[in-house]
Amino acid sequence: MKLRFTAYCLCLGSLLPGVVLADAVITGQVALPKRRARAVITQRYEIVAKAGVLSVSPPLAVVYLEGSFSGPSTRPTVQVAQKDLAFQPTLLAIQTGTRVEFPNRDDVYHNIFSYSAPKRFDLGRYRADEKPVPSQVFDVAGLVTLRCDIHEHMRALILVVDTPHFVVTDEDGRFQLKGIPPGNYVVKAWLDSQTVRAQPVKVTDEAELRVDFK
Amino acid sequence: MKDRAQLSSFQPGNFRLKLIVAMMLVVSVITALVLYGVGRRFAAGAEQEFERQFRGELATLRNAQVLRQAALVERTHALVQKSRLHAALEDDALDLLYPSARDELRDIMTSESAAGSDPRPSALRARFFRFLDRNGRMISPGSFLDAGALGPAEEADLALAAAPLEPQVGYLARAGASGGEEMTEVIAMPIVSTETGEVIAALVLGFQPMPVGPAPGTTDIQRGVWLAGRLHLPGLASSGGAELVRRLTEAVANPSESGGKFIVAVRGSLHAVYYNRLNAGSSYPPAYEVCVYSFDGLLAQQRRLRWQVIGAGGVLLLIGLGTSRFLAGWLSRPVEEMAVDSAENREQRVRAEAALESAGEELQRAARFSADASHQLKTPLAVLRAGLEELQVRSDLTPEVRHELSVLLHQTYRLSSVIEDLLLLSRMDAGQLKLNFGAVDLSQLIEAALDDLGAQPEADGLTIEQDLPPGLGVLGDKHYTSIILQNLLENARKYNRPGGRIRIAAWRDGDRVLLVVGNAGRSITPSAQTHIFERFHRGSIGENIPGYGLGLNLARELARLHGGDLRLVGSDNGWTEFEVRFSAAPSAPVTAKESP
Repeated sequence: MKLRFTAYCLCLGSLLPGVVLADAVITGQVALPKRRARAVITQRYEIVAKAGVLSVSPPLAVVYLEGSFSGPSTRPTVQVAQKDLAFQPTLLAIQTGTRVEFPNRDDVYHNIFSYSAPKRFDLGRYRADEKPVPSQVFDVAGLVTLRCDIHEHMRALILVVDTPHFVVTDEDGRFQLKGIPPGNYVVKAWLDSQTVRAQPVKVTDEAELRVDFK
Repeated sequence: MKDRAQLSSFQPGNFRLKLIVAMMLVVSVITALVLYGVGRRFAAGAEQEFERQFRGELATLRNAQVLRQAALVERTHALVQKSRLHAALEDDALDLLYPSARDELRDIMTSESAAGSDPRPSALRARFFRFLDRNGRMISPGSFLDAGALGPAEEADLALAAAPLEPQVGYLARAGASGGEEMTEVIAMPIVSTETGEVIAALVLGFQPMPVGPAPGTTDIQRGVWLAGRLHLPGLASSGGAELVRRLTEAVANPSESGGKFIVAVRGSLHAVYYNRLNAGSSYPPAYEVCVYSFDGLLAQQRRLRWQVIGAGGVLLLIGLGTSRFLAGWLSRPVEEMAVDSAENREQRVRAEAALESAGEELQRAARFSADASHQLKTPLAVLRAGLEELQVRSDLTPEVRHELSVLLHQTYRLSSVIEDLLLLSRMDAGQLKLNFGAVDLSQLIEAALDDLGAQPEADGLTIEQDLPPGLGVLGDKHYTSIILQNLLENARKYNRPGGRIRIAAWRDGDRVLLVVGNAGRSITPSAQTHIFERFHRGSIGENIPGYGLGLNLARELARLHGGDLRLVGSDNGWTEFEVRFSAAPSAPVTAKESP
């Protein structure tokens, strides 16, 4: 812990001039897999697994910046709610150490659990009036599959990344990462559980940088 | 002689015996036929009933088995939907697979400690569970102990070539708790990914042993399982079931064989064997349910039935024989009587014929004798009479001599009369008398006879009473009817007392005419009355009365020849009465066509 803190401080010191400089913005587009026929009535995201590969349908990607960052040690608490027997949102990206709350907004019991290696937990059964709202802190980077023990079809993904700079693309794959200090980074695009694309970038004073994933 | 032989060969008892034998034969044949038919029908009915019962029990067992399998498949199918199993398999958390499964399968697994007190039906309880991966390989529980103990060989038996697309049923022979062999039913249920429909694994559940041996709720069914070339059926497979095993091996040689039936002898008694594939279409080795039904029950039933039928047959036969004996006796009695009668008749006839023959010969000899004698007597008598009459007309005779001649002459007349009567009798005896039947006026004949009687000197002083309807006709020969009358009137005159009375009465009585002639005089003694109709009989009263004892006999013979009779009505108190019966003339009285 001490070692990590020292390294952290060193990084912070070396990057300090960049921080002083104006933050850059990275925009771009991830070429998403061809989506299946669009649902006419309700657009819903769901997790699909094909040949052991988990992805989101309609396709979405998570773009995040790998590198060394200094920043506030506090993380905002985010929520993955259960509404209409589905997780909302279906795909969540968080920084390591983030606490995620799982409020139940249905009239029935839910039982959220995960057998995924980065975070195994089981919240047990609870209803909407459960106080405090059950939550978990995700400390290890990786992909976590959320399931409900009661409703076998409910599924959600949480991508835990070890960086404060991450974003979920829109349906067309467009994204924008703001406040990037100058430096050499690797921009990664997570497409599914087996596909992560990477592009090295050098962030300078330029106000805007474009990175596309073909 | 021939008749005699036939007579002796016919025995009434023989006839009855034959009749009884024939009727008994018929009764026996009918009884046998009826019993045969009834027996066949009963036997067929019993067999059908047996078959029906057996099939019913079999169907019940099979239905129970099918229901049980369906229930197990259903439960297993529900289990493989569980999120945690999917999570463990899909989210790369195999280490959590068996612990999660233990939690999810808690309801279906047998708790070893609570096995005795668990009220839930044990047939639907699982003994162990395992998972196969998508390639059909066993996912070993490793050090996890709550999945139920299985040997390495048994785990190898549970593996498949690939995770199945459909539920697979298999059977596993395991060493049971009691030391014997137990049959475990195994269901391999595919676990299908909810997203893609891919089979990602399979859950294998081993259920409580299916009962082997006598099936509960049935009578004679032994139930076992044929698996991998072995018959698991305690009691039958080990001892004396070699032929059964051989037949089964042949029957299930074809892996797609679904079931069938055959009959085999086990330990000397017949058994029906029904085999039925338990896990049709399964990737596991084929297993057959083998139901062995002993025919002992049926055979015992049939034996019982046969004895009952034989008993009933015996009773029926006895009744039939008794009835036929009674009937034979009843039927043969009149025949026997007839036969006895006819035999007696025949004997009597033969005797009578023989007697008649000898009597006829005697009669003929007598008749010939009397005819000859009469004829030989007539000639000298005529010569004698002629000589006497010639002497009488001579003038030189003294009155004494003349009187003597007259007496002698009278005697020749008497002798002639006797000879005439004898001649007539002998002709009658020889049956040579010819009667010319016709209607005769009896009244007229009586008048004529009375006239003749009145001419006799001895009739003086006699009173004659007549009670005759005029023109009374009888059927007869006029000449001989006249002789009857003359004889009777002659007797009435001769045996009368001086100045006595003669009464003659005649009347028609139906188709008969009765004539009664009565006279006064000494009565005939009862002892004499029986002899008065014999030839040459003369009563003691007639010692000094001329006569020779032929008259009454002659009259009676003649009356009988006419179909009538002559009898003594009575003789007492100085009154004697005779009665003659004639046949009445068929038509109205006719006057005689010829004079007497």
